[in-house]
Amino acid sequence: MAIDSLVLGAGQEVGKSCVIVTINGKRIMFDCGMHMGHLDHRRYPDFSLINNQTLTCIVITHFHLDHIGALPYFTQVCGYNGPIYMTYPTKALAPLMLEDYRKIMVERRGEEEQFTSEHIAECMKKVIAVNLKETVQVDKDLQIRAYYAGHVLGAAMFYAKVGDAAMVYTGDYNMTPDRHLGAAQIDRLSLDLVITESTYATTIRDSKYPREREFLKAVHTCVAGGGKVLIPSFALGRAQELCILLEDYWERMNLKVPIYFSTALTRQANMYYMMLISWTSQKIKETHSTHNAFDFKNVHKFERSMIDAPGPCVLFAGPGMISGGFSLEVFKHWAPSEKNLVIMPGYCVAGTIGHKLMSGKPTKIDLDKDTRIDVRCQIHQLAFSPHTDAKGIMDLVKFLSPKHVILVHGEKPKMATLKGRIETELGIQCYYPAINETVSIPSTHYATAVTSDAFVQSCSSPNFKFSTSSSEHSQGSSNSKSIPRLRVSDDRVAEGILVMEKNKKAKVVHQDELPLMLGEKKHQVKFAYCCPAHIGNSQENTSLPLSSTNNDLLQLFSAKLANELSEGNIQHFGDHLQLESIHVSICSNNDCPYRLSDNGAEEQREPVFFCCSWEMEDEKLAWKVISICQKPTLRG
Amino acid sequence: MEAHAPGACNRSPNLPSISSGEPLSTETLASLRSLIINPSTPAVAISSLTETLTRSLQLSRDPHRTLKLLSDLAAQHPHLSGLVFDSVRSNSLLSTESTRVAAESLDLLASISERNRSLTPAIEEIDDRLFASLCFSPAPATRPWLIRNAGRFGVQPYLLSSMFLGFTKDPYPDVRRAALDGLVGLSESGVIDDGDMIRGCYFRAGELLNDMEDGVRAAAIRVVLAWGLTLMACDSEAKAYWSDEVFVKICSMVRDMSMEVRIEAFHALGKIGMVSQDILLQTLSKKVLVTTKEKKSLAQCSDEQLEVSGSSVAGAFMHGLEDEFHEVRKAACHSLGTLTILSSKFSGEALNLLMDVLNDDSMLVQLQAFETMHQMATFGHLKVQEKHIHMFLGTLVDRNTLTRSAARKILKLANLPNLKLFRSTIDTLLDNLEMCPQDEADILNVLFHIGQNHGKFVVRIIEEVSQQMEPVSNGKLGFDNVRVVALLVLAISAPLSQERNCSIPASIFSYAVTYLGRISHALSDIIHQDGLLNYLSQCSRSPGPYDIEFDFRLRGLPGSIAMPLPQKQGGTSEILSPTVKEPREAGTALVEHSLDVQVTKSINVVLEKVKDIWPFVQAGYTTEGLRTLRSCREELATLTSGSVASSATFAFTTQYIKIMKLLVKAWVYILPSRHIPSSGMGDLDFVLGKLDVRLSELKSTYIRLSKEEELHILELMLVTCMLKLSKVEICCHLGTLRKLSCTMAHAEYLLQDGTVEPSRFMIEVRNLSSEVGTSLNGSSCNPSLFRRALESFSLKQLVLCGGLKHIKAGLEIPDNDYGHPLRFVAGLPVGIPCHITLHNVLVESRIWLKMTVSGTDDTQFVYLDSTLFGGCDDCRIVDFTAPFYKTPKAFSFTVSVCICMEYLSEDVSFLKRCGPRHELTYLCREKEVFLSMVK
Repeated sequence: MAIDSLVLGAGQEVGKSCVIVTINGKRIMFDCGMHMGHLDHRRYPDFSLINNQTLTCIVITHFHLDHIGALPYFTQVCGYNGPIYMTYPTKALAPLMLEDYRKIMVERRGEEEQFTSEHIAECMKKVIAVNLKETVQVDKDLQIRAYYAGHVLGAAMFYAKVGDAAMVYTGDYNMTPDRHLGAAQIDRLSLDLVITESTYATTIRDSKYPREREFLKAVHTCVAGGGKVLIPSFALGRAQELCILLEDYWERMNLKVPIYFSTALTRQANMYYMMLISWTSQKIKETHSTHNAFDFKNVHKFERSMIDAPGPCVLFAGPGMISGGFSLEVFKHWAPSEKNLVIMPGYCVAGTIGHKLMSGKPTKIDLDKDTRIDVRCQIHQLAFSPHTDAKGIMDLVKFLSPKHVILVHGEKPKMATLKGRIETELGIQCYYPAINETVSIPSTHYATAVTSDAFVQSCSSPNFKFSTSSSEHSQGSSNSKSIPRLRVSDDRVAEGILVMEKNKKAKVVHQDELPLMLGEKKHQVKFAYCCPAHIGNSQENTSLPLSSTNNDLLQLFSAKLANELSEGNIQHFGDHLQLESIHVSICSNNDCPYRLSDNGAEEQREPVFFCCSWEMEDEKLAWKVISICQKPTLRG
Repeated sequence: MEAHAPGACNRSPNLPSISSGEPLSTETLASLRSLIINPSTPAVAISSLTETLTRSLQLSRDPHRTLKLLSDLAAQHPHLSGLVFDSVRSNSLLSTESTRVAAESLDLLASISERNRSLTPAIEEIDDRLFASLCFSPAPATRPWLIRNAGRFGVQPYLLSSMFLGFTKDPYPDVRRAALDGLVGLSESGVIDDGDMIRGCYFRAGELLNDMEDGVRAAAIRVVLAWGLTLMACDSEAKAYWSDEVFVKICSMVRDMSMEVRIEAFHALGKIGMVSQDILLQTLSKKVLVTTKEKKSLAQCSDEQLEVSGSSVAGAFMHGLEDEFHEVRKAACHSLGTLTILSSKFSGEALNLLMDVLNDDSMLVQLQAFETMHQMATFGHLKVQEKHIHMFLGTLVDRNTLTRSAARKILKLANLPNLKLFRSTIDTLLDNLEMCPQDEADILNVLFHIGQNHGKFVVRIIEEVSQQMEPVSNGKLGFDNVRVVALLVLAISAPLSQERNCSIPASIFSYAVTYLGRISHALSDIIHQDGLLNYLSQCSRSPGPYDIEFDFRLRGLPGSIAMPLPQKQGGTSEILSPTVKEPREAGTALVEHSLDVQVTKSINVVLEKVKDIWPFVQAGYTTEGLRTLRSCREELATLTSGSVASSATFAFTTQYIKIMKLLVKAWVYILPSRHIPSSGMGDLDFVLGKLDVRLSELKSTYIRLSKEEELHILELMLVTCMLKLSKVEICCHLGTLRKLSCTMAHAEYLLQDGTVEPSRFMIEVRNLSSEVGTSLNGSSCNPSLFRRALESFSLKQLVLCGGLKHIKAGLEIPDNDYGHPLRFVAGLPVGIPCHITLHNVLVESRIWLKMTVSGTDDTQFVYLDSTLFGGCDDCRIVDFTAPFYKTPKAFSFTVSVCICMEYLSEDVSFLKRCGPRHELTYLCREKEVFLSMVK
């Protein structure tokens, strides 16, 4: 059995996330995104590589366009009719996003539309919403389950299981909480495969507290000096996070400066946030009964006429990159005063005013031939990211400890570095396929077996053993780490024996039952070696009468063993020594079958032979005993 | 064969008939149980019951109900417990096939022996082998119970430890967890000293850190810590190695997905008292630092191990402080505090993170961060930098009172490196003062401390602003401005800094004198008003350099004040300073006094914590409040006192904390209903009753209370009355109203001279009682009125001034005990010889001897005429024979005797013909006097 992962998008790049995973005959499409950087056919994943009739279901992790943008096209234009799963917030917010995007595409750029509003509405009708940690039985064999992923409101990681094979697709996630969302949270699962994003495959991010502090300080200083603060931002996510931060600070510092939201979309989004409170962070959930964190007290609606009104204020306005629209209009009015402040909270595409502001501090910006803006205001950059960093990825992979990892949604060279770290530090096989490549990994398959009563009985009684073994670092260093360590093992489960009977049913039985079942006697493999012992001084040796030597020699040998061996309990039974399963006696039989002939022939004197026998498990110990025996000076 | 339980039926018709040949039915057992728990069941019936039950033990196949009944029986009738113990033991229950029955019998035996100490050796005789075989039996259901209770059966520690260790391999998570918890207990008992065993446990727990179950992982952290600490303790050479190893191991758990595990991990980190600096620094950075790698290779471990340790430690605290759950953030902050003591470099780096925690959205975390900084400051590791100051000063003007006061508390100790920071700090404090006038006293106090620590800067600032402080200015800043007061306080603190020869204009000290009341109120924990006046007048006379004495009431905070030794100048100053060098040469009274001052100081520190709980209590964090009180009590217990003078203060404070505990419990009931805990807080009537008694006791048995102290107690009494009145269910309104008005009258009397301002609550009560007074007879008063008044109550700090005296008495009945009773003739009076010692009892107080025949309400009072007593006011001793009249017709009886004092200010009169007319306060414990009839 194998799990095949076909990467249709976001292979060695960021954008149009889409992975088709085939597990035990079930095909799942994880995410169906579009690429924002392309306007040609590369915008969508290459759906021609799959037959959409064979798909079992589609799973969407969150509402960002690079994860959902191609969905209406795929369902309405390509004609996919199966079920689509996403979380409740994603289902609520995705149409807002798609509609907003469609409008921009058609109305602003005058492009031919890829899908219509009706398409979006129809597509959303096929969506089945799921809750966190709710196990959904897609069909008889396929189970999926969503886990909290942070990142944006409603983002989820998805666990999928068919038969014994199980995997997790993370989507985008964040391992540290922010002001409004919690950290990703997942159970310890036994997994064959984890497909994880790797946006920041090599970056290790510092604490975000100092950035928050600088942001607050900048805003506070500006409004305290009577200035106006413009925060160009997109309506969902970032605006709410920053606003919670400001609102909290306002509350504590008792500030009365108004905060404005310009677009209707933001206020609508705030409504959704207020309703979807159970998807936010712990703190917001805990306090929402007394105060809903998205019910901003200091936030007011902004009117166009207020642009030139006197007095300090803070304004959130879209679009985020000051590429036009209202944020540009406000920027034109506010940029010329050095009292004012513009905060750029995210990434800006080259060519936009936002990008110009972030790359160096321009004093003048030419908007077009006739308009030139004097930029005297202050600029503050804010680098918050809702993606996890390299350490977060490592932490998650380490926690889940799957058998294989596939990296998607990242840049190729950085992914290679991360792959190296995962393989060396965690010892997990890792891949980062390019677009349209398929990775095939073996999957788990469990065989069922019946058990015998005696086996169950032996399983339920504890049967532990203690042993001392030296730790791994014994060689070389001589400090405290090389001290033998007490180990404990519980053998009750290990003692079963798997038997395939004639009717082909596998059965696990207790070891004592086996001879009975087979009608055979129990055989035991024993090893034996009759080794010559080199006794030191000849005159002493001859002075002893032969009859008494046997016992004396054994006595002597046992003392010697006790001296040199740290482990085991040596017992002396008169005619033989017993150490674990090793049996040592003096051999008087010259034709002993366990004696190697060449050894004795070279000896001039008649040596004493110790006949040793042992069982398999004590082999190491036995050879130690023999080597002690063969040492030339047995007698001191 | 039918047979009735012998001798029982005729007395107790309820006793069902029991056939001895069959096991008892469930119904029979139920009725037997009602007989057992009924206290009026005759003894004969009980003993026959015991017999029946023990007999049925052998018969029944599933005797666990019978065992339950026997355990009830043993609990209700302790004299039978020995019998039950023996019968259970002798029955072969322990060796039965059913592990459950065996475990239940063991439980019964153990619980009996815990109540009855004489049976303890018997339980220890229970064979270790038996216990082990029970644990090893295939039934897993009882195994966790057995492991958890192993400590009760006196099993050998070495057997226990190997069993626990073995069971950490068990497939059932609750068994693993119980075994791990057992290992923690073993390590604490310290009986295991075998190196192999210790390492074995430690490494086994280390393996379980990767367990699938959250609970097991959390327990494994506890074991790793406990046995790691043992390892460190017993291997002193490799202590550093082990401490680092334990630290790294626990650090690897701070990124666990379970919150419980993360909290446990952070708590554990704070308990490791020794970690190398490189590892500590690594916890603050997510990037693996180079130094860690280099350093670790010196410690001779393989390369692979070092990589792993570097990355598992990396950023541990950063993650902790950024955690989603405030519980985790708080735990991280807390252990950061204990670790910053270890290294000043680490402390400096940690401060960068901590400053940002001040911006945390949970107040609890913020306060913990302040606490941690305070700890850093106490150890001299707090180095404020310029980049921090915006955030830090922001908290000084925070809306929350607690935040502001916590921030100021740190400023008292902080060391500001340059004038710029100093200036902005002072400016923000002045802003704080203007915004929140209610903080005035505390702000002035802080300014005084800051001034002492930064004399040089003060001089610079004062030079600039001294113009503004002149009384005749351009009118912009009036002389009565709070700002001026603040600057004056700052100025007058300068001469006490290290910078002795600073030039503060002498006139400033004269101006300060005009604000003497205000300033001395603010500095009341540092100096008395007289001392301050003395100091100011001396400073205003000499132009500096100053060599002025300053009567510190308390020695300020550790290391913060370079205190000039008192030098006699014309013998005017009253020495209050604790630095009396040779106590033996000075008078003993003086030594006593200075000791008292010391003790009072430390007690006041404890009392400050008591005050700090109030906002929590109001916010519904009752358990936190109670926990703090508990720790206050523990802290108090550690302050040992040798002197007589301070023992009264101790007794007073202990009593006060008990009262606060009751008040906190009572307060729960006036919180909005969602805070009411389901159980465990006790009945309100009960709590209030206790509160009432304790408060009256506090008020009447201590003398030399200062006016503030007395008002504080009165206010608490008012609160109690209001709490009673605000509850609809409590019906004795009239009595409570009378008490309220009389307490209020007392308070008004104390307030009338106007030196002490009444609190807001007092004013509310005053208004309310005048309102209610008009409708006293009607029970129409509305509980919500009282409740509203209660809302205005906030606990102020009780500042003890010392010099308290405790009224108490000692009572001895010589030569009387059970074996030597006094002889009496029934119906004739008997004299009871008493040896009485009275401490601090005033001549005018009315002292009574109360005698009650035990078990009845028969009480008789004898008045003790204080003129009989010899000795001084502090201690009077007399031998007195008290006549007891109502000797009953009995062979023997006992009388409980105790000494009481009439509580004169209370006008609730008893209508007794002879005896006290007012409420009584007990001055000593009741003493039993044994009497027996003359034959």
